[in-house]
Amino acid sequence: MTGGSETPPSQCVGPEYRPATQKPTATVSKPLDQVPNIHILPQTPQLIALLTMIRDKNTGRADFIFYSNRIIRLLVEEGLNHLPVVGHEITTPVGRTYAGVKFEGKICGVSIMRAGESMEQGLRDCCRSVRIGKILIQRDEETSKPKLFYDKLPEDIADRWVLLLDPMLATGGSALMAVEVLKSRGVPEEHILFLNLIASPEGAKRFAEQVPKVRVVTAFVDQGLDEKNYIVPGLGDFGDRFYTL
Amino acid sequence: MSIQGRRTHYQPPWGNANIIGVAGSSGSGKTSLAMAIVASMNLPWVVILSMDSFYKPLTPEQSAMAYRNEYDFDSPEAIDFDILVERLKDIKAGKVAEVPMYSFAKHSRLEQTTTIYSPHVVILEGIFALHDQRVLDMLDLKIFAEADSDLCLSRRLVRDVKERGRDIEGCIKQWFGFVKPNFYKYVAPQREIADLIVPRGIENKVAISMVADQVRKTLKHKSAQHQMELRRLGQIAEDSPLHGNAKVLEQTSQVKGMHTMLMDQGTSKEDFVFYFDRMVALLIETAVDFMPFTPRQVYTPQNNLYMGLKKEGEVSAVVVLRGGSAFETGLRRTIPDCVTGRILIQTNYRTGEPELHYRALPPNIAQHSLVLVLDPQFSSGAAALMAVQVLVDHGVPEERIAFVTYAAGRVGMNRVLSVFPEIKIVVARIGDDMENRWVETKYLGC
Repeated sequence: MTGGSETPPSQCVGPEYRPATQKPTATVSKPLDQVPNIHILPQTPQLIALLTMIRDKNTGRADFIFYSNRIIRLLVEEGLNHLPVVGHEITTPVGRTYAGVKFEGKICGVSIMRAGESMEQGLRDCCRSVRIGKILIQRDEETSKPKLFYDKLPEDIADRWVLLLDPMLATGGSALMAVEVLKSRGVPEEHILFLNLIASPEGAKRFAEQVPKVRVVTAFVDQGLDEKNYIVPGLGDFGDRFYTL
Repeated sequence: MSIQGRRTHYQPPWGNANIIGVAGSSGSGKTSLAMAIVASMNLPWVVILSMDSFYKPLTPEQSAMAYRNEYDFDSPEAIDFDILVERLKDIKAGKVAEVPMYSFAKHSRLEQTTTIYSPHVVILEGIFALHDQRVLDMLDLKIFAEADSDLCLSRRLVRDVKERGRDIEGCIKQWFGFVKPNFYKYVAPQREIADLIVPRGIENKVAISMVADQVRKTLKHKSAQHQMELRRLGQIAEDSPLHGNAKVLEQTSQVKGMHTMLMDQGTSKEDFVFYFDRMVALLIETAVDFMPFTPRQVYTPQNNLYMGLKKEGEVSAVVVLRGGSAFETGLRRTIPDCVTGRILIQTNYRTGEPELHYRALPPNIAQHSLVLVLDPQFSSGAAALMAVQVLVDHGVPEERIAFVTYAAGRVGMNRVLSVFPEIKIVVARIGDDMENRWVETKYLGC
């Protein structure tokens, strides 16, 4: 382990309305204050408990799917908050006016195959008829660099806000390549939101350096990467646990 | 003025139940009389409590005597007055009363009990309803039903043979051995302390309607008192800032966007249901943070250690019908197998008073570590107050109750929190006080 040698941030977690005595201690996300444009979900006890479930190697596939979906929905809800809105006043059923807002602009999802596809359901739970493009990126065995194999994206993607989906951000190699693909289709960097469950600090930093305008929404920043570039402690291979194991 | 930390008392309409005792000889028509009064009301909060439920369980010897028709069931000795007094005290105090069930076939108490909860008026009927001083002290009206003794005997014969599977010889033996002597010794003296003597039982329409009128008057008085009580609590809450235990969802642009969709009258029903379910899922995720959590260490597939958390105990939900049923889809998205109780509280359209019609709660609800109460709108808070009172009466500790709602007014929330300062309220939007209940109409489409 390289990055894993640091002590993980351990603290009492619980909403501020709870007294300290009722807050159990757990490992929470690394804060990445110096990294711009990364948004970590509030570390509520409920979120930590969900992450505990999906990290546990003894959790079966059905539970793994269910609990990761719950986190993904929270990620999507948080991610959508970064989309622009315009004021929209309406009259309520009780005859009052409400200074509401309307979502502006079109969106689409792009999943990085195969693990990213596991997040499509969560996205559809919040945006019913959203268009979803796909990108297949795999590690080239010879160069051990990520390589683009396939993509299928909406024609008018340049006019859309893109929610890029990949649950694990390790070295950031494939996510960065996906962003490059989107940029080459005319999507401005600032119109890309990267939704992610668990990130490594190395990956998050690298991502922020190379594509600083892309906003990252993640549930948790882990300790680091091991010698095989797996996130530590991580949760194993997300795609395997979601689809085949 | 702050209401934080102070506790005001709320008296639900079942807080001081009215008890009417109906005594009289066996076969005098007590039961029919009580049933006629209850039937003429047709309200779930006017109930009959039969003293037959309070027969003492018999020893094997007594039981053998009973099978030979030699056991005296018609003496006050056969009745367990201690338990009866306890249960009447529970009912009087508005608590949940578990009434024993007695089997005439086995001469013993059954395992199961009948639950009496939240009656406003109870009619206690039995030959010795006016016998024990402790019972008399709790009665608000004492009735003695009278009938000709030939009529009593013939009625009793018909009933015991038809409904209780006895033979005629046995019944006659009981009548002359026990029933008749006991009547003169114990039953008849109750006549002297009755407020009202009703001859000819069920045929006496005048008497029945008199008693029914008396009950109606009592109910009306209780309802007026309850409404006054609610107004008083409203005044206490009027000027206070929002209590700290009311947690309003952060009004992010998505949340505001969803409010806009939900409140816009142009939104289709399909969209409304979709956005409402989505909003509920957020509310439930917020509310389950109130569960107790304990540390839990797990190993990942690479055998890395993670110091996480796990929730302690079970979370359950209580749906306040009918509006609360709009929460169930969203609830099951987060907790698919959530144990769910239901209570029906309807607001009387004439008086605006909430009324408890029905309840079906999970059996071990008092042990759950969090109970979510689901109702889309709070309005005045009167129905919410009643729903929380029902849970507290069923033994759920106040601090384990989280009321989850879509829209609530500040005064309504403060009103409930001034009575139950330990509960939590999770709300998506602060709305007007006394807002119409439009959410359920829109969600359910009628």
